[in-house]
Amino acid sequence: MLCMKVQDLEFGDEIEVKWKRMVLKGILVSKDSEFLNLKLKNGYNLSLDISKVTSLKLIEKKINIPTERKSIKGKGKRVSILGTGGTIASYVDYATGAVKPLETAQDVLYAEPELQELGDIDAEIVFNIFSEDMNSKYWEILAKKVFEKTSNGEGVVVTHGTDTMSFTSSALSFMIDNPEAPIVLTGSQRSSDRPSSDAHFNLLGSVKVAQSDLGEVAVVMHSTSSGNSLTIHRGVNVRKMHTSRRDAFKSINSEPIGTIDSNLSIKFAEYRKINGKPSKLYEKMNEKVSLIYYYPGMDKEILYGICERKDGMIIAGTGLGHVSNTFISDLEGFVKDGKIIGMTSQCLNGSVNLDVYSTGRRLTGAGVISLGDMLPEVAYVKLSFLLGNFTVEESKLLLNRNLKGEIHDRRRE
Amino acid sequence: MTGGESEEVKIGLEIHFQVKGRKLFCSCQGEESENYTGRFLRTLRATSGEMASRDVAAVQESLKQRVFEYLITDNSCLVEMDEEPPHRPSSEAIEGSLIVSKLLHATPVDNLVFMRKIVIDGSNTSGFQRTGIVGLNGSFEFNGKRIGITSITLEEEACKKLDEKGNQVLYSLDRLGIPLIEIATDPDITSPREARLVAEAIGLTVKQSRMIRREVSSIRQDLNVSINGGKRVEIKGVQSLTQIEEILEMEIKRQEILNEIAVELRKKKNIGEKINPIDMTASMKEIESDMIRKAIASQKRVIVFKLGGLSGFLNKGDYRLGRELADRLRAIGIGGLIHSDELPNYGFTENDKKYLFQATSCEDGDAFAILLVRENEIENAISAIEGRVLEALDGVPAETRAATPNGTRFLRPLPGGARMYPETDIPVTAISNELLSNIYDRMPPTLEERKDQLVALGIPEQEAYTSMYKEYDELLESLVKKYGNPKIAAKLLSSVFSREERNLPRAQKILELLSNGKVTKDVVVDLYFSHDSLDEIVSQNSVSNSNLDTIKELVKNNRKLVMERGESSFKLLMGEAMKSLRGKLDGKVVSETLMKEIKLILEEKEQRN
Repeated sequence: MLCMKVQDLEFGDEIEVKWKRMVLKGILVSKDSEFLNLKLKNGYNLSLDISKVTSLKLIEKKINIPTERKSIKGKGKRVSILGTGGTIASYVDYATGAVKPLETAQDVLYAEPELQELGDIDAEIVFNIFSEDMNSKYWEILAKKVFEKTSNGEGVVVTHGTDTMSFTSSALSFMIDNPEAPIVLTGSQRSSDRPSSDAHFNLLGSVKVAQSDLGEVAVVMHSTSSGNSLTIHRGVNVRKMHTSRRDAFKSINSEPIGTIDSNLSIKFAEYRKINGKPSKLYEKMNEKVSLIYYYPGMDKEILYGICERKDGMIIAGTGLGHVSNTFISDLEGFVKDGKIIGMTSQCLNGSVNLDVYSTGRRLTGAGVISLGDMLPEVAYVKLSFLLGNFTVEESKLLLNRNLKGEIHDRRRE
Repeated sequence: MTGGESEEVKIGLEIHFQVKGRKLFCSCQGEESENYTGRFLRTLRATSGEMASRDVAAVQESLKQRVFEYLITDNSCLVEMDEEPPHRPSSEAIEGSLIVSKLLHATPVDNLVFMRKIVIDGSNTSGFQRTGIVGLNGSFEFNGKRIGITSITLEEEACKKLDEKGNQVLYSLDRLGIPLIEIATDPDITSPREARLVAEAIGLTVKQSRMIRREVSSIRQDLNVSINGGKRVEIKGVQSLTQIEEILEMEIKRQEILNEIAVELRKKKNIGEKINPIDMTASMKEIESDMIRKAIASQKRVIVFKLGGLSGFLNKGDYRLGRELADRLRAIGIGGLIHSDELPNYGFTENDKKYLFQATSCEDGDAFAILLVRENEIENAISAIEGRVLEALDGVPAETRAATPNGTRFLRPLPGGARMYPETDIPVTAISNELLSNIYDRMPPTLEERKDQLVALGIPEQEAYTSMYKEYDELLESLVKKYGNPKIAAKLLSSVFSREERNLPRAQKILELLSNGKVTKDVVVDLYFSHDSLDEIVSQNSVSNSNLDTIKELVKNNRKLVMERGESSFKLLMGEAMKSLRGKLDGKVVSETLMKEIKLILEEKEQRN
């Protein structure tokens, strides 16, 4: 056995360590200037202070076993899974115990072998980012890819981090007009390396929806804490309403468009079917749009800073859609400069109404656009979409017009 | 015959203690509760790792496609529901486990790393148990012998299983997450009796930390046993210390027989040949068997096949390979295996047996089996049987087994290290020198030290140990310090704690009365168990006077007797006096007073004469 310096060892090597007068054997998991992580034969990891390790020996170099990945061709309607990163796309490397992202399409299929029972599955990793790193550039890339697939008649399942999934579902809703196949987004609230993960059921349900005649963008996630029912939400009505629960996603100010039971059978309520009209991709998003959350005591300077640099702004106002009266004359100035300012509510539930109080009427007078019961995030994405593809005047007209089911005339809750 | 000198028995223990206080990863109280506030359903799934090394034990559970229903209790939150990430570990529990490590001379780790141990039988909502090594390489001295302590780990308790019907299992969340300290010994124990004694002694040592929950269900042992250098078998869920010995004896016997069978089977040529299943559902309809009829009615197939060379090994005398096979099937959710060693039976006649013997091309020494399964279960069932038959050639398979009243039964293959990976939701906790020295300042006394403390108060040694074992030593100590009478107090409390039902305020009151001289030493225990009102005794403030009058009265009433019998009347009257004065007046005072009164009468008589 060869005595080696720490830096010669690599991840996965079997080593022997002397620590506090004990001799320990195991697999090297990681090492840095402070800690050496060792996986013992019984599976436990030990994190040893390097300063207390008196000797290190290599027992056996890591053996690389090439894993054979057969391409999987299932039966049933073809579905494309497009990976964008997030909790749903990870697995455990049991040799070292590390949780790793799925990097290739075959990884996805390997991790979810049951998919082939459902359909002819194609998988592709479009990009692999944390969902909080999502931005309009990624939406442009993704929309293009999705459009390519749906125009080919292939249903699409986008796996996505849950934090910003509803932003992306809104973006795709607006950017792809009359899709020729279903577009479904899904994610998971418990990473797929865990036996209790919601990823598996979410993914299988999503594939089923992607094989249906749905002609719009949907989000499919757990209905309750139980793992026996999924809800199909319209992409522009859904919002993550809990930080960690499986049933975090809720349709706001509207009913979900369907449910899926534990046998994967779909029950649609009101939904848009593939309509055969020409499908169109709107490729651009305007980055110069902002979303601000008004709060008591908000500094006007913040508003100025944003408005000066942006072409449009969505405000999540208080209650029926208000901000301090001291802001109104400045907002009027920005509108006169050609900027679009839309008003939504922090309450999320219920609609903005600028007619009830004098502040609201003044806001209307200043040119602020009331956006009804559209969710603030949806309005933000919509404005970015409008200013990316239409003139300012057209955008002003379209912002409070219902395009994809994002604004409702009736609310029953 | 078991545990004898001719064979080498190696036994290791895993002893689990529930720690008092909050749960390990949330702020819920660590106690049992039956206040149910809701329910939810889940399924679990073994995850396929990159290395294709899904843990065998985990995979097997997933084969069963089970649905788990959980009852939410008032002492559980989103963490137990697996709907919220774990909170930081309870510092109380970490300190407790470090104290236990120190008590067992183990080396504490530099950093506490929690792992996820995959367990997909539903007992953890997450599908894994969080566990971390706290100390390594300790030792425990027992009767002059060193028992190595492999590790001390801190982990979370699993759900309580309430019911199981078909593929649905019902669990309660109340217990999930209670901190559990696991002490694993090296396989240094060499007999079932020693195993029990060591478990007892370690328990007593750990209880000194005062952090262990007292409920009966709060301590649990797993046993690891192998014989003659064979494979290790882990036995789960031994609830009581007294069970340890018996279960180990039965398990060692089972292993001996499996080794014996292996020797015999290795002499044969056709053991473990590939099974050729024949679907005989159609030709079975004529057999007058309820079992078959029911199976066919519930859409099951009747599969018959030869088990080469196994006649007489499946169920004859001590040989019970048939049970081992059935256990493997049950573990993947398949019941219904009948084999030729059991026939004729279950409606199968001798003729039926002959017919099937021929149908499966059996020859002398061969057995056959009948399997009642659904179409989609055939493959799994046959491969489970083939696997177990092959293992029979090697003697004892490495398995996890459950303790039952009749010994042990198969649960799953022994899990490997493959089922562990780091719990990334919990930051690694550094075990600093400051933390350690702070804890070591608060170390409980050793057993010996504690015993000496109690003996120094005047408590007899045996009573001192009993009080420590039953964990009333602190109470005893405080009562002795307050009311004195160490021997009587120890005797009283040992009687009090010998029963399930305890009235500690009454025991304390009696000791108080004793110290005030209102009751006497000899009646303390009887008084505790009697229904006499203590208030009455207290209200008799001039006890001695009125009691002395009672004696005078008694002698006066028996004047004639005293005159006739003289001093020998004392015995009779003493008995009479104690009937009414027991507990109220010291016996010595009674006899002195009585004697005085008798003598007065006798003197009077003499004077008259």
